Amino acid sequence: MNILEVNNVDKYFLEPSRFHVLKDITFAIKKGKLVTITGKSGSGKSTLLYLLSTMDTEFSGSIRVDGEELKGKSNRWLSNFRNEHIGFVFQFHYLLPEFTSLHNVMLPALKRGTHDKESIEEKAYGLLKMLDIEDQAVKRSSLLSGGQQQRVAIARSLINDPLLIMCDEPTGNLDSKNTQIAFGIFREIIDKGEQTMIMVTHDEDLADRSDEIIHLEDGRVV
Amino acid sequence: MATLKDVKLSVSIAMVHIRSKLRQTIVATVGVAFGIAVFIFMVSFIMGTNNYMMDITFEHSPHLRLYNEPTIAETTILDRKYPDWKNEVHNVRPRDVQLNLKDARQAIQEISQLQEVDAVAGSVKSQVFYRYGSNAINGLVNGIDFDNENRLFNLEEKLVEGSFREMNTIPNSLVMGEGLANRLNLSVGDRLNLTTEAGGTFSIVVIGLFKTGLTDIDRQQSYASLATVQRFLGVPASYITDIQAKLHDMDLAPQMLNKWKKRFGYQGSDWKEDHSTLLEGEALRSMIVYGVAITILLVAGFGIFNILTMMIYEKMKDIAILKAMGFSDTDVRYVFLFQALLIGAFGSVFGLIFGFLIAYAISTMPFESDVMVTLDHLPVSFETVYYIAGFTFGLITTFLAGYFPSRKAAKVDPISILRG
Ligand SMILES: Nc1ncnc2c1ncn2[C@@H]1O[C@H](COP(=O)(O)OP(=O)(O)O)[C@@H](O)[C@H]1O
Ligand SMILES: [Mg+2]
Repeated sequence: MNILEVNNVDKYFLEPSRFHVLKDITFAIKKGKLVTITGKSGSGKSTLLYLLSTMDTEFSGSIRVDGEELKGKSNRWLSNFRNEHIGFVFQFHYLLPEFTSLHNVMLPALKRGTHDKESIEEKAYGLLKMLDIEDQAVKRSSLLSGGQQQRVAIARSLINDPLLIMCDEPTGNLDSKNTQIAFGIFREIIDKGEQTMIMVTHDEDLADRSDEIIHLEDGRVV
Repeated sequence: MATLKDVKLSVSIAMVHIRSKLRQTIVATVGVAFGIAVFIFMVSFIMGTNNYMMDITFEHSPHLRLYNEPTIAETTILDRKYPDWKNEVHNVRPRDVQLNLKDARQAIQEISQLQEVDAVAGSVKSQVFYRYGSNAINGLVNGIDFDNENRLFNLEEKLVEGSFREMNTIPNSLVMGEGLANRLNLSVGDRLNLTTEAGGTFSIVVIGLFKTGLTDIDRQQSYASLATVQRFLGVPASYITDIQAKLHDMDLAPQMLNKWKKRFGYQGSDWKEDHSTLLEGEALRSMIVYGVAITILLVAGFGIFNILTMMIYEKMKDIAILKAMGFSDTDVRYVFLFQALLIGAFGSVFGLIFGFLIAYAISTMPFESDVMVTLDHLPVSFETVYYIAGFTFGLITTFLAGYFPSRKAAKVDPISILRG
């Protein structure tokens, strides 16, 4: 079963001048796979990932996530869909600086509102423990190092058990030991078969250990 | 619609923002509080003074007056003689009418029977010269039926010295305004001469002094019995020039006046016409108060607007992250709107409390005035409606000040921020 279907997607940037950034992109991803997107810097990897994440709706063509066409959906629908089904780790490890690590991880689940606060907290703590930073749980996230913040961000992306986890160079700030740990965790989660992961990376080693590689060159899949 | 759960979550995020920006939040809150406090203080004080002035004026004026006025005939004798001509007569003289009200006693009797009427009294007013030694002052003498006049205007309370009631028993006596007595340099027990318009001169004794607080009256008028004034003027006991009345509900005055004018054929006026300047002045004063308050609140609101706008620039990343996590535009808007409303609500409540305390302090300050005789403290009005207005103003201003920045926050495009 395809969790993601991308058909004939084109995207242009109009500013500063008209620029065809993604060209006739078509691919599909099966449920339970760990897929990497590779390509040179500027080839359009991040742009593609933002389209898949439902945050960018300015494109032509069709993107279906779990059978739902994204084109033409309202802001509220997309927000809820993103909250429930998509976990996102940004290229630059973004956390809310005034909140504790634990609170940061809890926020998407609090927004979803299907569980009570205690069980959310318990689950968030479990995720932090899995990523080996439970000792930073009650610290304000702005006090954490770059690598620690990235791990908190990974924990946050997992809190709602999303169908799709998207990462934009998630290991960019991690040393090789923590990169191995993080990738190990991803692999483990995906191998359970319920979730799917799309990861932008230029780490050849990680790409080789993924199930599938989508290589972008100058805005085209090759 | 956002659910209650969503709003609560937005509020909890707003609270974290507020806690991390406590100093700016307090400054903004103080700004609002200051605006509201000034508003409450000004309204209470100005309205208190205003109401006090209105009260003494209205206490001493009737709701309705009936009188006769010399009028100019609308048709001249030429018109009657040659109705087809186009006649023009310059400088038509007023008809030589009697100023008294026809059948006034029956009219008073009839009016006093109406259930809308609180009190009614007839009087004779006459311009006179008060002469004492070498002083001669032009003034007015009121011939009154004391019991009824007292029910209208609470005369007994205005008495400074002597007695009103004795005017009915001591012949040729009067009770004089304190200001007038001072101008004439005489006191209770002194005898003076009155010269009427017709030229008669009478000797009369001062049996009391009164003070209403209205300079016009105190410096010019005196009261004597109806019979005394009628005798001076050489008119019969049925001669009455003025009928004055107070109603239980003063707002009925205009319509009652119309009825009576038709019924009795007199002329007249109601309190709204008599005090149009005063009433207009009141409206102007409230406009000034509200104007100043709104200006202060606008400044305070602008402060909130600035702080929130700055906050939103600082929090661009946070907004983008919240949206990426699935917070909707509305959720984000609530985060910032709530901060504005919290500042508004706290600021308003503190402002009301401070405003009340200042107004209260002012109201306990002793104050002596020659003009406002019945006043020993500054007049301050404590009406709930000012506090409701203040609170509403505060909330509306902060809502507007928060609305635009938070709408801007809601419109932030997360991609453009996250792309770095
Ligand atoms: N907002 C934008 N406006 C115009 N051009 C953009 C914008 N964002 C990215 N680009 C351009 O689009 C291309 C693809 O960018 P991006 O997807 O970030 O590349 P990658 O992530 O593969 O390094 C680059 O040439 C970049 O300069
Ligand atoms: Mg990139």
